Amino acid sequence: MIFIENLGKFFISLISGVGKLILFIALFFRYFFKPKFYLKINFKYFINVFISSIPIIALTGIFSGMVLALQSYTGFSRFSAESAIPNIVVLTLTRELGPVLTGLMISARVGSSIAAEIATMRVTEQIDALKTLNTNYYNYLVTPRVLALTLAMPIFVTLVDFIGVMGGYLVSVYKLGFNENLYLLNTINFLSLNDYLSGIFKALVFGFIISIVSCYSGLYSGKGAFGVGSATTNSVVVSSILILFSNYILTEIFF
Amino acid sequence: MNIEIRNLQKKFNDNEVLKDISLKIEKNKSTIILGQSGCGKSVLIKIIYQLLNYEKGTILYEGKKNIDIDKFSMLFQYGALFDSLSLSENIAFTDYMDNKINYSKKVKSLMSDVGLDISNYHRYPAEVSGGMKKRAALARALYKNPKVIFLDEPTTGLDPINSDLINDLIIKVIKKRKITAVTITHDIKSAIKTGDNFYFIDKGITQEEGRCDNILSTKNKIFKSFITGARY
Repeated sequence: MIFIENLGKFFISLISGVGKLILFIALFFRYFFKPKFYLKINFKYFINVFISSIPIIALTGIFSGMVLALQSYTGFSRFSAESAIPNIVVLTLTRELGPVLTGLMISARVGSSIAAEIATMRVTEQIDALKTLNTNYYNYLVTPRVLALTLAMPIFVTLVDFIGVMGGYLVSVYKLGFNENLYLLNTINFLSLNDYLSGIFKALVFGFIISIVSCYSGLYSGKGAFGVGSATTNSVVVSSILILFSNYILTEIFF
Repeated sequence: MNIEIRNLQKKFNDNEVLKDISLKIEKNKSTIILGQSGCGKSVLIKIIYQLLNYEKGTILYEGKKNIDIDKFSMLFQYGALFDSLSLSENIAFTDYMDNKINYSKKVKSLMSDVGLDISNYHRYPAEVSGGMKKRAALARALYKNPKVIFLDEPTTGLDPINSDLINDLIIKVIKKRKITAVTITHDIKSAIKTGDNFYFIDKGITQEEGRCDNILSTKNKIFKSFITGARY
């Protein structure tokens, strides 16, 4: 009986959570299209997100490309198809690994920080203080973060794609003995604009998901240190699941 | 501004925090709301400020149900200063956000009023003491020239000397600017020092009311036990 009761509570809280999130997104768009636009805050936040994420993005790109080249070689060398490695590296990175890995890393690096910051603001009554200062927290807190991440993600993914391809190039040329010119030529010739753009579109969607989920987790956090911790964990877990889920849907669309 | 609250009720899920609260806040007077920690004092002032909704009851602002809350201001328990902004940007928050650049003179004058040295103008909240944060938060609350100021436990977290200084400051500021003040506290000493009228809340009900200079002569048993158990 207790099991059924708990199961019921779980589903009720799940449905209520989804409902609140949808309402939150609707309110975001409502205030986004009739904004009091804080340009200074938006720009400051974009620069902050951008600069703080570059190292982790570069590392994600270089290691993904290097590992991809090595693993592809292991497989393709079994039926003498090593020449396909540049194609596989660039295609996998631009269409799939670039956006997904960047999304997961940014969710852990930036999403968690957004959720923790906003949850701390809630716990220390700074959100209430915003209301008393006639400042809409959607305009002050949510819009800058959603805009910054949604716009920064395509740039991050482009960087990961480029650095990843260079990682694959380094391993292929200096470890696996590929001809350097041929590798680059194969990469460039094989890549189509659609491959790149499908990854960029995914990046935009993932950026929106991470920022919205993180802001939501922060604003609806519980009280005290436990509330801040839970908000941070929830933001990363929910963003990651939604990234993986929406990645499948988007891949189906662009297949 | 006169504010009247009649039979106010507030629930959080199944927890009935305020059961039956009635009180009157008189214009240009300092009203103190006393009660144990967790009795719903902060919830009450957030409801009056329209930061929270309520289930039942009536709140009348100058006899009307609606009010422009721009006339209100609040000093939060721990200041609630924004960590990413300097003290001056915090104090002049709305003008700073609207990219107005000529707030410096007003901020410096307010800093001087609340006893904050001008050398703290560019400092961040993390770089100053708790007492200085409270002063900066008070300056921020006064920046928009409010008609009513709500003070949520203004001396919490301060040592006795700083508590006295903040209390003196509150009296000075309220008298000088002719503001209606609503202070919530569980500190009897602060209540007697800074208040004109008081209301005592316990178990979600207004249990006692009167003038602050008569607090100690109360005959109400619950309030008496609160006084003896409270800091005094």
